[in-house]
Amino acid sequence: MAGALVSFQDVTLGYDGTPVLEGLSLDVRPGDCLALLGPNGCGKSTILKTMAGIVPPLRGTVRSTFDGRPVRFGYVPQQETLDLAFPMTAAEVVEMGTYGGLPAGRRPRRAERERALECLEQVGAAELRGRLFHTLSGGQKQRALVARALATEPDLLLLDEPLSGIDAPTAAAILALLGRLNREQGLTILLVTHHLGAVREVVREAIWVHGGKLLRGPASTMLAPERVRTIIEEDFLS
Amino acid sequence: MSLLMEILSPGFLLRNAFYGGLIIGFVAPLVGVYLVGRRMVFLGVALPQVSTAGVAGAFFWHALFHEHALHEGDFGLALAGSTVFTLAAILGLAVWESRSRARAEEQTGVLYAFAGALSLLLVASDRIAEIGILGLLKGEIIAIPTGELLVLAVGYAAIVAALWFFKKDLLLVSADRDLARSFGKNVLAWDVVLYLIIGTTISLGVLLVGPLVMFGFLIVPPLIAGRLVTGIRHLPLAASLFGGLAAFAGFAIAYRLDWPLGPTDVALVCVLLALVVTAQTAIGWLRRT
Repeated sequence: MAGALVSFQDVTLGYDGTPVLEGLSLDVRPGDCLALLGPNGCGKSTILKTMAGIVPPLRGTVRSTFDGRPVRFGYVPQQETLDLAFPMTAAEVVEMGTYGGLPAGRRPRRAERERALECLEQVGAAELRGRLFHTLSGGQKQRALVARALATEPDLLLLDEPLSGIDAPTAAAILALLGRLNREQGLTILLVTHHLGAVREVVREAIWVHGGKLLRGPASTMLAPERVRTIIEEDFLS
Repeated sequence: MSLLMEILSPGFLLRNAFYGGLIIGFVAPLVGVYLVGRRMVFLGVALPQVSTAGVAGAFFWHALFHEHALHEGDFGLALAGSTVFTLAAILGLAVWESRSRARAEEQTGVLYAFAGALSLLLVASDRIAEIGILGLLKGEIIAIPTGELLVLAVGYAAIVAALWFFKKDLLLVSADRDLARSFGKNVLAWDVVLYLIIGTTISLGVLLVGPLVMFGFLIVPPLIAGRLVTGIRHLPLAASLFGGLAAFAGFAIAYRLDWPLGPTDVALVCVLLALVVTAQTAIGWLRRT
C-alpha cells in the first residue's frame, strides 16, 4: 500500500525453513501507534524481527522504503535476550544506536557521543551515562535501550515486550514516554506486549495474532474486556 | 637499573626475544578483548594449540620430503602450517556450530584435546622436530631470528590497524548481532573479518612464543583491564598496556633469575590478576564494614 513505512504482502515468517506464521499482510503507516498482542509463541517477536530485517521472511514480500529511501528502524529487543558481555556503559550502549548511519571503518566521533547523551536525556536517564549497563535495573536498562533505538533516528520504533520484568510505575513512565514520542514527534511505534491494561491509554490501534491470522482494529475495540476474553478463551481452547 | 640498561642496549644478545615478547604482550590483548567479550575464552586456549599442531604438521611435512631438519629458512612453511590449521579450525568450528546441537565449549574442548595429541603424534618420529615442538609448548623464547621478528611486527601492525579502523563494526556484531542485522550489516562477513584477525594473531604469535604464552596474553590482560576500567572505550588500550608491561617485567624477571621466559610471563599476568581481584575484594569488604 502506498504511504506505508512497512508493508507485508502475503508473507510467511519462520526460522530455518519452518513457518511460524503464514500468509500475513500488514501495513504500518507513518504516525501509527500499535500494540501487537497474542499468546506466547504465537510469532509476535518474529513479526517484529522480520520488519527490522533481523529474520528474513520465508516467502512473500516485505517492503520497507518510504519517500524513496530505506526505512530506519529503532529496535528495542527483549531485555533478557540481550547478553552484553562487553563491559559497556549505558552511554556506550546508546552510542551503538548511531553506528547504523556510519560507513564501515568510520569511527564514532564527538557528534555520535553527543547524540547518545541527548537520547539518554530524552528518556530521562542522563544520570545513567557512566554506569555499566549490566549493573542497571530492569527499568533503567529498558530506558537505555529505548534511548539506543532513538539514537538510530528511526522512522519506526519497534519494541519487543518493553514492559516485561519491570515494576508498574516504571512501566507507566516508559509508556508515557512512548505516548509523548508518538504525539509530539510523530514517531511511529509498534510494540509487542502482554500488558493489555497498561497500553490501552497509549496505543491507538491493536493487532491480535489469533489463530495464525492478524486481527487489527482500534484499541478501544480490540482491547475491550469482552473482546480480550473471547480471544484468550479461543486461543486457550485451540 | 643496570639490568634495564643491559636489556635495552642495542647489542643485547636476547633483544629479539625481548622485542618479540613485547609486541605480543601489547597486541594479543587487543584481540583477546573480543574473545573475552564474546565468551570465547575456550577458543583462546584451543586455537593456539591448533596452531602448534600446524607447526608440527609443517615439521612432519618437511620430514617426509627432506632429509635435513626444519631450520630458520623454513619459517614460511611453519607459518603456513600454523595459519592453515588455525583458519581451518575456525572454519570447521563455525560449520560444526551451525549444524550441530553440541554446545560451543564441547566442540572447543574436543578440538583442544585433538590438537594437543596431534602435535605430539606428528613429531613423534622426528627427534629434532619433537624438541622444537616441546620447546614451543614450554614457551621457551630464546632465539627469535630477525626475519621472523620483522614478519611478526609487520603482521601485528596490520592487525592493530584493522582493529582500529573496524572497532565499531567488530564491536557491533560481537555485542549485539540483532542490532547489527537491523542496520543491514552482513554479520557473517564481519565475523569472518574478526576470525581472520584472531587466526592471524594466533598463528603468527604461536610460532614465536608457543601456545601457553599466546593464551596467557590473549585472555588475562583483558580480564585485568575489565576489572579496572569502566566501559569499552578505554578497555582495549588498558588491556594492551597491562599485557605490554607484563611482557617487559616478565622478561626482566626471567633474565635476572634465569627462569624460562614464557612461563614467567604467564605467571606474572596471572599474579597481577590475582592481586587486582584480592585488592578489589578487600576494598569491597572494607566499604561494607
